[in-house]
Amino acid sequence: MSWLALITFLPLAGALLLTIVPGDRTTLLRGITFGVTLVVAAMGLAVWSSFDSALATAQFVTEREWFTLPGGTVVHFKLGVDGISILLVTLTTVLLPIVVLSTPGHIRIRVKEFMIWLLVMETGMLGVFLALDLVFFYFFWEISLVPLYFILGIWGGERRLYATIKFFLYTVAGSLVMLIAAIALIYRAESSDILELTEWAAASDLHVQGWLFAGFALAFAIKVPLLPFHTWLADAHTEAPTSGSVLLAGVLLKMGTYGLLRFGVAMFPAAAIEAAPLFMVLGTLGIVYGAFLAMAQTDIKRLIACSSISHLGFVVLGLFALNQAGIRGSVLQMVNHGLSTGLLFLLVGMIYERRHTRALHDFGGLAAVMPVFAFFFVIAMLSSVGLPGLNGFVGEWLILLGSFQASPWLAAFAVLGVIFGAVYLLMATRKLLFGPVVHAENRTLTDLNGREIGLMVPVVLLCLWIGVQPNAFLDKTSASIDVVLERLDEARADQRVGRAVEQDRAPEGAESR
Amino acid sequence: MNFETLRTMFDGEAARATSPLLTLTVGVLLLLLIEVLPALARVRQLVFAGTILSAAWCELLILRNPIPAAVLDGTYLADKTSAGWGLIFLASALIAWAFAQRYYRASRAFIGEHDVLVLCTPIGMMMMAGAENLIVFFIGLELLSVPLYCLAAFRRERNDSVEAGIKYFVLGAFAAALFLYGAALLYTATGTVSLAELRGVGAHSGVALCGVALITASLFFKASVFPFHFWVPDVYQGSPTPVTALMATGTKAAAFAFLIKITFLFPSGAAPVIGAIAVLTMAAGNLGALVQDNLKRMLAYSGIAHAGTLLLVVAGGLAGDPLAADGAVVQAALYYMAAYVFTAGGAFGLIAWLEADGERFTQIDALRGLALRRPKSAAALALFMLSLGGIPATGGFLGKWLVFSVAVRAGLVPFAVIGILLSVVALAYYLRVVVAMYMQPEPEGQAPPMTRRTSAAVATAICAGMVVALGVLPGFFMDRLF
Repeated sequence: MSWLALITFLPLAGALLLTIVPGDRTTLLRGITFGVTLVVAAMGLAVWSSFDSALATAQFVTEREWFTLPGGTVVHFKLGVDGISILLVTLTTVLLPIVVLSTPGHIRIRVKEFMIWLLVMETGMLGVFLALDLVFFYFFWEISLVPLYFILGIWGGERRLYATIKFFLYTVAGSLVMLIAAIALIYRAESSDILELTEWAAASDLHVQGWLFAGFALAFAIKVPLLPFHTWLADAHTEAPTSGSVLLAGVLLKMGTYGLLRFGVAMFPAAAIEAAPLFMVLGTLGIVYGAFLAMAQTDIKRLIACSSISHLGFVVLGLFALNQAGIRGSVLQMVNHGLSTGLLFLLVGMIYERRHTRALHDFGGLAAVMPVFAFFFVIAMLSSVGLPGLNGFVGEWLILLGSFQASPWLAAFAVLGVIFGAVYLLMATRKLLFGPVVHAENRTLTDLNGREIGLMVPVVLLCLWIGVQPNAFLDKTSASIDVVLERLDEARADQRVGRAVEQDRAPEGAESR
Repeated sequence: MNFETLRTMFDGEAARATSPLLTLTVGVLLLLLIEVLPALARVRQLVFAGTILSAAWCELLILRNPIPAAVLDGTYLADKTSAGWGLIFLASALIAWAFAQRYYRASRAFIGEHDVLVLCTPIGMMMMAGAENLIVFFIGLELLSVPLYCLAAFRRERNDSVEAGIKYFVLGAFAAALFLYGAALLYTATGTVSLAELRGVGAHSGVALCGVALITASLFFKASVFPFHFWVPDVYQGSPTPVTALMATGTKAAAFAFLIKITFLFPSGAAPVIGAIAVLTMAAGNLGALVQDNLKRMLAYSGIAHAGTLLLVVAGGLAGDPLAADGAVVQAALYYMAAYVFTAGGAFGLIAWLEADGERFTQIDALRGLALRRPKSAAALALFMLSLGGIPATGGFLGKWLVFSVAVRAGLVPFAVIGILLSVVALAYYLRVVVAMYMQPEPEGQAPPMTRRTSAAVATAICAGMVVALGVLPGFFMDRLF
């Protein structure tokens, strides 16, 4: 059994193991889950360190026949990691033990079920990023919905049922349209291998690409979520338990942006070029609209959820700038958003556990009462704002550079988002941490304990590391992204040739008439 | 017909082709014998299960080594397809029977008759799936329907069961009449009732097409396809739940087995019409299910929706799936139905179990807190709901993939897209069940105790196992069985 198969299915094996542990042994349940995720994280880091940045192709590939579709297309159980997925795979494996460590504060009932779903979810998420076969990918794509559905629905807040069903139906509607597109693509290309499909699709004509792209992109746009489809996110984030929010922001939304890159831009370059203006506009609107939404929130968790819409707008904007700076920035920003927003959700969760409210006006002056909390919150906030020296700066800067090359006006508009982002986050920080302590309940709050500090330190260190040495991360991705860029250049060249031919034809036609 | 012709007709091939039917018939006779010899009552269950398993063994032998030509004067065909269907029918009957054990309290004295009636149904279904002749099909149809009429009304002490029986009988008789009338018209126009000869002649004249339309209507009735689906919710809800499981899975499969077989009679332009009917069926089923509060009734509507999805296969075959020659159309239908038999069979069976324990099963709200009370039952029911909704790692997902593949390949993309969006609606109501079991607090009042029912527990475990196996090991089933 290869490394990647082990990484993907070890959590599932752990979940099966948990089913035989009695439900009241919560410490044992947490221990096993933490152990499994820690081992997976170690393996994830091992893959990270032995990943060869110079290679553009998928690495550590493991392949086995799964079954044969009618017509003779063999579906493979195929896993592999390349520059597009390496960051997200490592991020997922590293985030999971941190999430497990955060659960004692807010998961007190039905611990066994929670841990099982958490591990199933890890398998689902890793499968999505590692799968190199479209059927296999789709399998994981839909299956990863189920654990979050349970996590939201059982351990969520008051309006959890509404949020859960909304989240599930929204995402499923998109994925089912993708199912039709996937069936059509596999049938036409007579393969379900993602690399072969990419070759086939990139060579097909614009009409075919356009329809298939539309089918795939809709599913990803809902998952990201891109502007008109964003309403499920705020509800899901607000109602989810802390660990659910962290996973949702950290990993699950990245499935959408990852899909847009792998199945949108890389697979259908000609269609992506045609659709780029639309996506850039939607991304920019998302940036500004998300920022405005965030400014209006009084619930701090909802505020962070809305800031996610804004940040993911940046990722989409960068992706559809369709140039080197934009795409590299986007790939890095996917990780950055996962880290900084994950950190913010963790912090908000910690304070909610102490105070059982998330309304901004219930706080104030926490810096005096909880200095350690304040320290971490300020770091997380600054990383989210994009302060130079922290991770957010590099990603946003690259994205803005890329989008300026593609469309200066939109980039100028997107910069507004950066400014608004600073405004609402700084305002929230002021209301939360500074000023006098107005409410008596806040005077007695206890500061973070060792476990809480311990789980945040690795994330903060990662934020710093990316901020100081972004090249260590960008280099891993560059070879694979360059391949995508080459495809885009070819498609642009083809389109120029096509237009030239049309223009040549037009006058001839006029003469012959 | 003298004895000599009969002997030449019933040769070795014919014996092999009809071996599952003969096995089941022997089983039925044995069960009747047990009824008159009370000393043997103890082996009744053994005989039933043994008969089904032996018949399944015969089907597997046919599957391994199919009989190429129709036997018995060209009236019955036992090829790979009909053997595949046969296995599905047997599974359906076995599941329904397993969940019926200790289900009937007031009618326990008649349990022997119940078993005889249940064992008759797969004989009828197999004749329907293997028929190469309209008359043989009709005999199969009646052999299936008459026991089901009795079974639907089996809980005589309950008004809704009797009502279901009468409704099913009256409408079933109507459908049978439609079929006979259609067959007669077809005979008038073409001079034959043999499918082989009809394949040569085709149905071109107006009279013949009228006949085909009437036959199709009758099959639509049995398969619960729009606009012949109105009886389904009442009958499914009123019938004893294990019987509902049999009706929902086996009967539907048998009707589709024959419908796919006679697609050649349809004019080629009918594909969009069938596609539209399929979409309308899905809409009627899914939108109807969305507003139900009664679990059994909701699953009845869901069954209508599934019939619509399967009808998409028929439309795809008619529109010319380029892979139809490889058997892709039949394979999709078989796989979809196999998954449905275990999923819906398991779901109805679990309801029967809860009901027999005195759980107030009928309302979805009554399932609240089931995950804490009976975690294994709840997990199985959740799995069945996800499979009905077509979520991966369940058989329902691959069935859906194959069915929609047929439609997409045949160029029926608009129908496929509408159909797939309707299955989002379907997930909304399947999830309601999961929400109730896992996410809502237990209702007030003492929950009834859980009885140990080995047969139901084993059947649930097998259904759940098969649903997962069909979802993750499709290669095994596609290569070996379908």
